[in-house]
Amino acid sequence: MCRKLIPFVLAVVLCGCQPQTQNIDTINDPGKAVMQLDYRDFDRAASEMVQSLIASGSLKKQGGGRYVVATGRIVNDTMQRVDTDQLMAKIEQELMNSNLVVMTSAVGGNTASRDSMIYDVRDVRDSDKADEFNKDTLQAKGQLIAPELSISGKIIQRNVIYDNNLQQVEYYFQLQLTDLTTGLRYWQNENIIGKRGSKKVVPW
Amino acid sequence: MKFILYSLLVVLVISPVGCNPPPEKGVIMQEGIRSDDLGNNIVTRPIVHAFSALVGEGIEIRQALTHVNKNGFLELEVSGYNRSFDTRRFEYKVEWLDGSGMLITSHTSKWMQTSAAGKSPFTIKAVAPRTEAVDFRMNTRKIPG
Repeated sequence: MCRKLIPFVLAVVLCGCQPQTQNIDTINDPGKAVMQLDYRDFDRAASEMVQSLIASGSLKKQGGGRYVVATGRIVNDTMQRVDTDQLMAKIEQELMNSNLVVMTSAVGGNTASRDSMIYDVRDVRDSDKADEFNKDTLQAKGQLIAPELSISGKIIQRNVIYDNNLQQVEYYFQLQLTDLTTGLRYWQNENIIGKRGSKKVVPW
Repeated sequence: MKFILYSLLVVLVISPVGCNPPPEKGVIMQEGIRSDDLGNNIVTRPIVHAFSALVGEGIEIRQALTHVNKNGFLELEVSGYNRSFDTRRFEYKVEWLDGSGMLITSHTSKWMQTSAAGKSPFTIKAVAPRTEAVDFRMNTRKIPG
């Protein structure tokens, strides 16, 4: 009888040892640091970038008004499959909320920041299907506003052997703001996030 | 005999102590770099450190300055001093409040990491993400993990 119960008891005990799935408290996360880039790293990098950009005064338009800004190419030069929108979505949102700029969805280095519907409706306008629409509601030609500034950048990863047991992983977040008319760079910032941990952990 | 031994000890403690000139204003010379003195030398250092740890010396905030920059954004500069002998790493979060005291939600209000070297001043700077910000509140915590 007892022998029959042993597998059942073992199963119950082992199941009880499994950690429970929990939602992360993203506001006051008490979690330990990880070797890979996690959402906290993107939050910190975005926060520092936005504050630096606002403080620089580069987005203050001479004569008032708001700059039209496009997101340029953000290169992921890390060993991880990073979607650069994890960084840029926060930055774009904050810049728009600051009332200093308007972002454009017409052009951009990343397909996610472009809205293909802008060109779909124009294709409709120029096709036979246009007859199905009220012509006054179709977008006229020459209405799109070209961007004046572009934000581009790069995320770089460097792995360094620290000692026999530890490795050091350095992440560099680099962004720059360029005037598209003159090609001049108005602002640039680099934010470094460094992590040191066991060599056994694979940082990708 | 004991008196001679104690006297020798006192001489040993005091002998490396020179007349240290006061450091240049704004320059901090850490232990091991600057010359030893009466209160901090090879004999007294462990005792002083142990006492500091025992009484729990840590971070103290001395001043929080705000000013509106030329673009209309509120800037915050918090100055403090690390009373501990060890480097203290900690996290801080700055939240911004509008004229009616309402919280301005922003991606910039996140737990940020900073560090203060032992027995040294430090400064934390932050910029409000909106021109509506007129006040702030700041929280601190130990780095998790």
